[in-house]
Amino acid sequence: MSEGITSTGGAAAAAPPTPNRSGLDLINLTKAFPGGTLAVDDVNLHVDHGEYVVLLGPSGCGKTTTLRMIGGHEFPTSGQILLDGQSLVELPPYKRPTTTVFQHFALFPHRSVVENVEFGLKMTGVSKEERRKKALETLQMVGLETLAERKPRQLSGGQQQRVALARVLVTNPKALLLDEPLGDLDRLLQLKMRVELRNLQRQLGLMFIHVTHNQEESLSMADRIVVMNDARIQQVDDPLTIATRPRNEHVARFMGDNNIIRGTVSEAQGSRLVITDANGVKVSVQAGNDDQRAVGAAANIAVRAAAVTVGGGAAGDINSIDTEIVFVEYLGDLVKLHLVAGGERFLAKVPGDQYPTLRGKEGDTVRICWKEEDVQLLAD
Amino acid sequence: MSSSSPTDDHLKQEQQAVALAEVEEAEQLSAQQPHSAEKALGTDISIARDRNRKASLITFLWGLPGFVWLGFFLVAPVVFIILVSFWTRTDSGFIKEWTLSNYGDIFHSHTYWMSMWKSFLTSIISVAACLVFGFPVAYFLVMKIENQRNQIALFIFALAPFWTSFLIRAVAWTYPVAGREGAINQALGGLGIISDPISALGFSELSVRVALIQLYILFMVTPLFFMLSQVDRSSLEAARDLGGNGFRVFKEVILPQTMPGVVIGSIFIFVLTMGEYGSVRVIGGGNVQSVGTLVQNRISAIQYPQGAASAVLLIAALIVGVFAITRFANLREEL
Repeated sequence: MSEGITSTGGAAAAAPPTPNRSGLDLINLTKAFPGGTLAVDDVNLHVDHGEYVVLLGPSGCGKTTTLRMIGGHEFPTSGQILLDGQSLVELPPYKRPTTTVFQHFALFPHRSVVENVEFGLKMTGVSKEERRKKALETLQMVGLETLAERKPRQLSGGQQQRVALARVLVTNPKALLLDEPLGDLDRLLQLKMRVELRNLQRQLGLMFIHVTHNQEESLSMADRIVVMNDARIQQVDDPLTIATRPRNEHVARFMGDNNIIRGTVSEAQGSRLVITDANGVKVSVQAGNDDQRAVGAAANIAVRAAAVTVGGGAAGDINSIDTEIVFVEYLGDLVKLHLVAGGERFLAKVPGDQYPTLRGKEGDTVRICWKEEDVQLLAD
Repeated sequence: MSSSSPTDDHLKQEQQAVALAEVEEAEQLSAQQPHSAEKALGTDISIARDRNRKASLITFLWGLPGFVWLGFFLVAPVVFIILVSFWTRTDSGFIKEWTLSNYGDIFHSHTYWMSMWKSFLTSIISVAACLVFGFPVAYFLVMKIENQRNQIALFIFALAPFWTSFLIRAVAWTYPVAGREGAINQALGGLGIISDPISALGFSELSVRVALIQLYILFMVTPLFFMLSQVDRSSLEAARDLGGNGFRVFKEVILPQTMPGVVIGSIFIFVLTMGEYGSVRVIGGGNVQSVGTLVQNRISAIQYPQGAASAVLLIAALIVGVFAITRFANLREEL
């Protein structure tokens, strides 16, 4: 697990962060709460300017605490936070070049929309006309200029979200921190705001660090996803890699729709391993150069449900199992087949238009198989 | 919002002020809430109300006992006082003969205007001091005590003086605390700060003002406590995040959101101290005059019409004062 804290999936771990590099660096960042609970445990991460990074994990995994430490609302027990080589640790939030969009927007209820947006400029002593002009420009950017005189409570959730965005953008921050920014919105609005937020970030070319527990949201928005669990970083990669090549069992389970098979290495031919589980299911996988395992060693693998083919293969083949369909979940574009073999559950995702030709019914036995290159050997 | 007629508003204001003058704070508070809610929601609620006459009838029936109660115990006595103030004084009381001479007497009475001015000054000092001393108490309780149970426990502890009668607390201010042999003089003498006891501490204007602050400060702390509890903590974080230091966050975010509490507390204390006569009599020991003691003097001297006229002017002054305080709040909210 100790490899799990590296910044970019292992390769960059060896290079110590150079003090004057541009972007944000978290170095051995640790936060212990009174009583000794570790909220954030030795986190190392580099984020470039203009990058959209999502911190993803279940609640209590330390993602929000990490964000709050970057924003200055929580102080690290140890470790360092550098922005363009300058330490932020000693600075109070109002002196940091970062701003936060808070979970429930945290608008000022007694101020109108435009006064909310003006607030940051007022604090830095910008003249009245100047800050009104800038605030209105920023409101225009988020499409709310006509509602400038309203009070926050007169706005819908989506509009409040935009005010919260305008309020931080107007201060021209170097990094934008977003704490569950879409959590208060209904699903359709969430989907719309994902695109808007991402477009806005691309337009501005600004560093966005976004905290969420929503896998789909992270996959659709991020340049890189940081998966966290138990106060530690589990994996840092682009969405495609996170979705298709989970590093360890936690990431595979958290991202969902993965078939995990726990077994031991029964054959090793060079880098190609054959793994056999307790039910005699055989899986072959290409092990990475840094993860060679001997015969007899424990080995867990993951296969995405979408990489599973229903039908085909021969009995007793490697990468093939006879299973019984226990539940068919029709989801429109695709169908999820819930399968059981030898007491283990498996999941296959079949494109919706193929389903009629498969004619799988609950209680039927089907053979499933997958390609060796779709098998991912899990760490730990 | 603009559709509500100004005369209606004015009428409501007056009713509020009169209610306060008669020290009906409880009713006042509950009456104010629906009023402001109605304003906030604007025309939607009035349309809905028109549509549903049955509901409004039920509402009326619910309100009826309150109206009867207020009419009998509040409006009727005030009307009676106003009537008496225009009647003629006799040796045994008054007769129903219309006159303006009661007011004429008062207008030419230097004592009355001095008492009015002193009472007003005492009121303003009490409001200001309660705000200055009360705000930190409420702020500490709400913002600095993390544990909610401790918070409520400390709040109740702060209310402890109110478990005894205000008269007992007023008496305690006389000889035991502020008298020549009282605790303050003893302590200061013991510490060698003074050689002779300060007599100005007891039975004086100063002692009345100091005591009134102690007697009424919780009328400020309580509304502030509840208003501060409602301030969204994350909006404070947002303000710090956007560049506000401690003072700016207080001035720009906390204070505006607690203004209704400041106004309610100020109204309480202004009205209570301006009309105060019991504590003034006890603590001032007859050396201190207020409008309240003056009215009481007239009544004891069987000068009912003059007493009534003094009381009417006091009520008028209270209405003006309360009106001014609420204006101040609206002004602040608009900023």
